[in-house]
Amino acid sequence: MLSRDGISGLVCLAISLWLLVLTWGLPPAVMVPIGPAFYPRIVLSILAILSVILLALDLRAAAQRRATGTTAIAAPVQPAPNYPLVLKTFIAFGLYIALLPELGFRIGTVLFVAALQVTLEWPRSTRRWALVAIVALATTLVCFYVFEDYLSVLLPRGRWSGM
Amino acid sequence: MNHYELLLTHIGIVLQMQYFLPLLIGVIAGVIGGALPGVTITMTVIVVLPFTFGLDPLQGLAAMIGVYVGGSAGGSITASLIGIPGTPSAVATTFDGFPMTKKGEAGRSVWVGVWSALIGGALGGIVLIELTGPFASLALQFGPWEFFSLFIFALTMVAGLVGKSVTKGLLSGAIGLVVTIVGPDPIMGVQRFTLGIHQLDGGFPFLPVLIGIFAFAQLMPDVETIHPGEHAPKAAGNIGLRVSHASVLWDIFCRPFMLLWVTFIGIVIGVLPAIGGSAANIMAYDQAKKFSKRPEKFGTGIPEGIVASEASNSANVAGSLMMIMAFGIPGDAVTAVMMGALTLHGIQPGPLFISQHPKIAYGIYAAYLVALPLMVAVIWVGSRAWLRVITMPKSILIPIVLVLCVIGAYALSNSMNGVYVLALFCIIGYAMVKARIPLAPLILGVVLGDQIEDNLIQSIATNADPWLFVTRPISGGLLAASVLSIAFAVWQHRRENQKMAMAAEEEMDTDF
Repeated sequence: MLSRDGISGLVCLAISLWLLVLTWGLPPAVMVPIGPAFYPRIVLSILAILSVILLALDLRAAAQRRATGTTAIAAPVQPAPNYPLVLKTFIAFGLYIALLPELGFRIGTVLFVAALQVTLEWPRSTRRWALVAIVALATTLVCFYVFEDYLSVLLPRGRWSGM
Repeated sequence: MNHYELLLTHIGIVLQMQYFLPLLIGVIAGVIGGALPGVTITMTVIVVLPFTFGLDPLQGLAAMIGVYVGGSAGGSITASLIGIPGTPSAVATTFDGFPMTKKGEAGRSVWVGVWSALIGGALGGIVLIELTGPFASLALQFGPWEFFSLFIFALTMVAGLVGKSVTKGLLSGAIGLVVTIVGPDPIMGVQRFTLGIHQLDGGFPFLPVLIGIFAFAQLMPDVETIHPGEHAPKAAGNIGLRVSHASVLWDIFCRPFMLLWVTFIGIVIGVLPAIGGSAANIMAYDQAKKFSKRPEKFGTGIPEGIVASEASNSANVAGSLMMIMAFGIPGDAVTAVMMGALTLHGIQPGPLFISQHPKIAYGIYAAYLVALPLMVAVIWVGSRAWLRVITMPKSILIPIVLVLCVIGAYALSNSMNGVYVLALFCIIGYAMVKARIPLAPLILGVVLGDQIEDNLIQSIATNADPWLFVTRPISGGLLAASVLSIAFAVWQHRRENQKMAMAAEEEMDTDF
């Protein structure tokens, strides 16, 4: 059974081999001794070799564990990571980025900041709900006016909202 | 004008309101960001980055140097008062800072750290001002062979020193190099690996990659630890920070050799690429303990421990700045962001930086020197307010940081392309954290990848003999040092693993 090192090695190996295959589609050099594929092939070969080493080390460690009848070294007892919350944060951030060109910075940011605050810590009082709203509005307005008015950075306008 | 006249002139320029204000805001942001547990100086400088796009290069750099200096000292506040280091570079400060606070000497604990940061930083500043020029002159002797070998050395050293596995460190550096081969090749402009996606025609923009890698890699582990009903530790509101500053300064100056030694360690660690203050404070603490006449007292709340950690941590900033100005190699992630910001303005740090951009170079020296006393003033005036700010809930902080990351990525080209790159590298950064692959070599790979390719091509185009990389003395020496650094790292990791295995066996024996 592969551990996270083995899986990382496999993923990196697959990517490096795939990109190495793509280098054969690159045109050869005409005037110079080396072409566009020269350096990528070196880098991708190094990545592939390192991936194989990582994979081999992981397989050897797994074989040693099997031989001695031990499991992987147990980590100190800690609270389990809250992965569902991580997933929700990823989804909220992904939706924010996906909808930013449609909703525009102002609407998108108010919704994102409010939604993520609520996701990370559910407000248990009216005061906390008010704080969520204030933080969402203040973040959006301060960012918008500072960047647009003082730093000449134009923030995204929404195709649907027009603002 | 000579060196010192230029320096004084630029100190005068930095004290003008148009430069002083960004510097002050940077220091305040740095102190707060550094003090906030879970928010590193890198994260703070990334958050400040978009605000610098509309400024001239020196204004932007002044703000970032302010963050760097303020953040280095800010981390010690929480380390001393609540025993949680605001940044990894203040870890060793907790060893003696917090016990000192528990003994009822909170003011002494905080101010020994702050004054040590000022003094270590000032000593580092002298080295920065005096040695950057000679280092750059040395770098001017380098041809493409030497630069290629230097960058390889930097990459292998970082890959070997960070993390617990040399293979993973090297793998991370290689991933960073792979990121830079996407886009046009430097000779013929042929598109490589863009998969027909036109947004990738220019390659991956460096800053969104860096912001993405660090944003989720640093924020998501915090999200993982959020559980319903839990609250962040509160900074005690009733702690008195009053102290006799003369006695604090005596605490620092009564061991001058230790002060100089730990400052030297900080500068050297800063010069070494991408290692940064997180290693400097621990190494300096360890050295101070080894050379102390009372090593058994370390960890019980003695000032030497705080001085060692904070002076080295602050001096580390000067070392990092020296490396970026003389060689164009970032000493850590913060200077990598600075380098990205400079290239946005068409300025390439490296051996010619001081001669081609003296205003910026001396402006950096001046901003660094002005930022140090400013940092003390900011902590002095606002210590109570910063204590309140650092208890801000993560549920408020994280959305705000993410919005600023999106603005930073968007504002680079006023398009969503940078934001999509940011999102992609957010996922990659978090995946790497979960795979326990260190991020520092990847960042260095991304920073140096194009230069490694350019110098490789230039050297082969000049003379196709590959043995020149080995037979030219400096280049050969650097490549030998690369091999040695990997060999040393492998040996060190094996020794650590053996020690751990022996300790585990002993533990099992005693159990039975």
